[in-house]
Amino acid sequence: MIKFKDVNKWFGSLHVLQNINVHVKPGEVVVICGPSGSGKSTLIRCINRLEKFQDGELHVDGMPLHNYSINLTKLRAEIGFVFQQFHLYPHMTALENVTLAPIHVRKIKKKEAKEIGMEKLVRVGLGDKASSYPDQLSGGQQQRVAIARGLAMSPKILLFDEPTSALDPEMIGEVLDVMIKLVDEGMTMCVVTHEMGFARQVAHRVIFMDEGEIIETEKPDQFFDNPQTERAALFISKILTH
Amino acid sequence: MLEGFNFRIIWEYMPLFLEGLRNTFLISILSIFLALIVGVIACGGRLSRWKFLRGISIIYIESIRSTPLLVQIYFFYFGLPTLGIRIPEIQTGILALMLNSGAYIAEIVRAGITSVPNGQIEAGMSSGLNYFQRMRFIILPQAIGVTVPPLLGQAIVLVKDSALLSLISVMELTRCGQVLTSERFMPTEAFFTVAFLYLCIYFCLKYLADWSQKRLIFKETY
Amino acid sequence: MIAYYFQRLIEIFPFFLKGLWMTVIVSCLGLIFGTIFGFIMGVLRSQKIRLFNWPIGIFVSVIRGTPFVVQIFIVFFIFPEWGIQLNAISAAVLALTILGTAFICEIVAGGIKAVPKGQWEASASSGLSIVKQLRLVIIPQALRTILPPLVGQYVLLIKDSSVVSVIGVVELTRVGWLTVVRIPEGLMVFSLVGILYFVISYPLIRLSNGLEKKLSVGQISL
Ligand SMILES: Nc1ncnc2c1ncn2[C@@H]1O[C@H](COP(=O)(O)OP(=O)(O)OP(=O)(O)O)[C@@H](O)[C@H]1O
Ligand SMILES: [Mg+2]
Repeated sequence: MIKFKDVNKWFGSLHVLQNINVHVKPGEVVVICGPSGSGKSTLIRCINRLEKFQDGELHVDGMPLHNYSINLTKLRAEIGFVFQQFHLYPHMTALENVTLAPIHVRKIKKKEAKEIGMEKLVRVGLGDKASSYPDQLSGGQQQRVAIARGLAMSPKILLFDEPTSALDPEMIGEVLDVMIKLVDEGMTMCVVTHEMGFARQVAHRVIFMDEGEIIETEKPDQFFDNPQTERAALFISKILTH
Repeated sequence: MLEGFNFRIIWEYMPLFLEGLRNTFLISILSIFLALIVGVIACGGRLSRWKFLRGISIIYIESIRSTPLLVQIYFFYFGLPTLGIRIPEIQTGILALMLNSGAYIAEIVRAGITSVPNGQIEAGMSSGLNYFQRMRFIILPQAIGVTVPPLLGQAIVLVKDSALLSLISVMELTRCGQVLTSERFMPTEAFFTVAFLYLCIYFCLKYLADWSQKRLIFKETY
Repeated sequence: MIAYYFQRLIEIFPFFLKGLWMTVIVSCLGLIFGTIFGFIMGVLRSQKIRLFNWPIGIFVSVIRGTPFVVQIFIVFFIFPEWGIQLNAISAAVLALTILGTAFICEIVAGGIKAVPKGQWEASASSGLSIVKQLRLVIIPQALRTILPPLVGQYVLLIKDSSVVSVIGVVELTRVGWLTVVRIPEGLMVFSLVGILYFVISYPLIRLSNGLEKKLSVGQISL
């Protein structure tokens, strides 16, 4: 489904991604973690081409992303992306946020799109907030709307970039619950997060990055209880004491 | 201080003042409308990928912003005839006001567009919206909100700027004050009346600007 | 013919420099006095003291709401009727000072209000007097918000000083006006005038923009 082959990326002279090789199969849930600045965001932003890379091959859903002439709209329509800072459109209600892309990218009729949108909102537990504006919602609710927005295009892949780290602790649970539900439904997901509980419970694999490199790829229990490298061990001890 | 204030003379000249007020109105509305068009085009050029267009727009915007409006008015007033172009003073004046405000409006619109946070654009891209859809549904609706209050501010500036057209003998509000002064030598009555009328326009526009400031600005909330 | 006029224009170029000098003097005096009075008034206005707030508010609105050319006429024609005798240059400086004061007052008051309330409380808790709180804690922080628009305001003042040409101060714009009578090449003459204004205004505009970028950390969008 997602296949990185020797991908390299530089920001100027900074080598942010170094020889990345990752293979994510359909239905798989991969958690990516690592210290700040290690290139996690850059990595998953490559998957829907918010970032370009200079070297290597990347196939997503059969499309070759190293080939710059691919149809970006078609690619992105198949991939949902959830941002750390939500980025809901502040001038639209929750429902309008969710239905914008189905109406204008999928060209679905308004009425039908609204039904789909409502269904997604109900799925994240916000059926009653459809006509609220983002500034009337709590952080956790905003992030759940953002997830519904990602789901509205019935994507094949969902990407999350630290979806809970801008949230107050008491709201993290409600967002993780929604994500766990999605895992149970068999969604293919790549999640950048430091939520160990989430990783242990649902991830099939944990990828640990540092300074642009993938240091370890393990099953979650194996990774957290018995890290193979010193860097990973240090990192885990830090998030544990946090 | 105002014991000798002569209300009779103001009453007598009221038709003249009203005509001046009307002309100030018409000149301002026409100019701001034209300036809006010029401004949006110049802003488009300023943000364009094409170096040549960008260069021209920058030269236009910066040279207008760095020189006084009065000099620009004289430039056209004395300059157009040397090119063999003879148009009435009022058209010269509107041309100058349009080009002057256009440059400021270009910057206002640009600030509006760039004020939309990058994340909004990325969110739009991530759901597969193309460039025009992102402009139409995400950037412009938010940019227009931020743009309206400073645009009304520019309208206030333009109304006041139009007073300079009196110096090339366009019969607008300030010119009426000059006429009353030269015909009857009553500068106090003349210019206090003129100032009062400008203030009325100012307070209306200011009220609108404050209102729009409160109503139209959307903020991304975390 | 154009070459001939160009030649003449170069001959009288020193005249333009004199005009430029007068522009610089008049606007510098205006902006220095305007800054002093503007800061005083701005600080008073930010304190929400009833006694000051009302009169300052009215003063600011009246000056912001009327065209500068009308203000110049009032200072030049009407003040003498009240027994205040002024020559053209002092009238120009006075009018520019009043204008500058009103605008700078708003900039300063806005900057002070933007300093978080906690800063007042913290400095008061450490026992500083109101004056010391302002001088040592509040104003240094407010300067971040004040400085860029203040420099921008200086540019506006320099450009507005062109309007004092109407009461006969021989500054840059007036020089252009006097020249165009003898050298009837309006485009050429007023291009030269414009270039000279550009030379002083443009660096200030860049400075203002630079300051804004440098000083804005948590930027407040307009
Ligand atoms: N647009 C950019 N231009 C230049 N450098 C960038 C850019 N974006 C990111 N970087 C740099 O690339 C490196 C990796 O950034 P990235 O955002 O991928 O890290 P991250 O692992 O997501 O960190 P965090 O946990 O803080 O989000 C950082 O050193 C960052 O400074
Ligand atoms: Mg990141």
